[in-house]
Amino acid sequence: MELKIRKNGNNYIIDVNGEMDLYNSYKLKELVMKMLEKKVERFIINLENVDYIDSSGIGALIYICSTIKKMSFRLIITNIHGSVKKVIELTKLMGYFPITNSIEEAIMQMED
Amino acid sequence: MADKTYLSDIKEIRVNENSPLFDKTGMLYKEFPSDYRQIRYFTLLIVQSAPLEIKEINLLEQQISEVIKNAVKHGNRCEPAKKVRVWYSFDSTHAHLVVQDEGEGFKDMEKWNDFNRKRLEILSAQDFEKLADWVSFRTQKSDDNDGGNALFAALEYWNGGFVFNDARNAVAMLKSFPQKKHAIG
Repeated sequence: MELKIRKNGNNYIIDVNGEMDLYNSYKLKELVMKMLEKKVERFIINLENVDYIDSSGIGALIYICSTIKKMSFRLIITNIHGSVKKVIELTKLMGYFPITNSIEEAIMQMED
Repeated sequence: MADKTYLSDIKEIRVNENSPLFDKTGMLYKEFPSDYRQIRYFTLLIVQSAPLEIKEINLLEQQISEVIKNAVKHGNRCEPAKKVRVWYSFDSTHAHLVVQDEGEGFKDMEKWNDFNRKRLEILSAQDFEKLADWVSFRTQKSDDNDGGNALFAALEYWNGGFVFNDARNAVAMLKSFPQKKHAIG
């Protein structure tokens, strides 16, 4: 799994590439925690290039989402598709995660 | 407004060693050492015999990987000498597996069912703030890599049943897939 950060205004977009599984999901969690230490407050996690997620990956997203919500910062998860979407649906977390269909939509929501 | 769909069909994990799902007649068999690093590899060795149309990209692989991970990590505590035994059978209409470990069994099953019931009640009330405390089932043995959510999805995915044996160290599961109708030329 590869993680890339890019900036759009005050928003930090994290592009996740690869599989969010039991061996590497902790990397995303660690990256977000480091960014929080550096006072980043607005996160967009882009899952466009993620085709596989397991319970560890869902667990990492839950941890990130709960931490950012507790700090009253902003998070949007975007471009969920295929089996990643199905796993989130099976876990009934579609309503829990702040989700948009595209990065553009995520940026617009951040401005609201 | 409450969404009662979450409460209409609350599923529970049950013990039923007499379930027909434990009938291993005609099933293929593999066994593995409890090597955490090879869980996905072991899973692929099993899933490769499934027809493409039931793989749903990789959803079947993901769901089987979760059950094998539970056996390796929570059942056998990653002790390499302890085996995970898997019986499996696939065709275009079903996936049927029995996964057995050498651990002490799923002792927290009742706690898990209580937790899941509460989680579904909160989902029904659409109280997403409260839900934050009910998205991950944790025990004293959970670590940071445990998502605590695999069995929520398993109960939904394995639509033909997900049952444990009396010792609670073997779980049998069935997923039925709708038969695709072929056009008559």
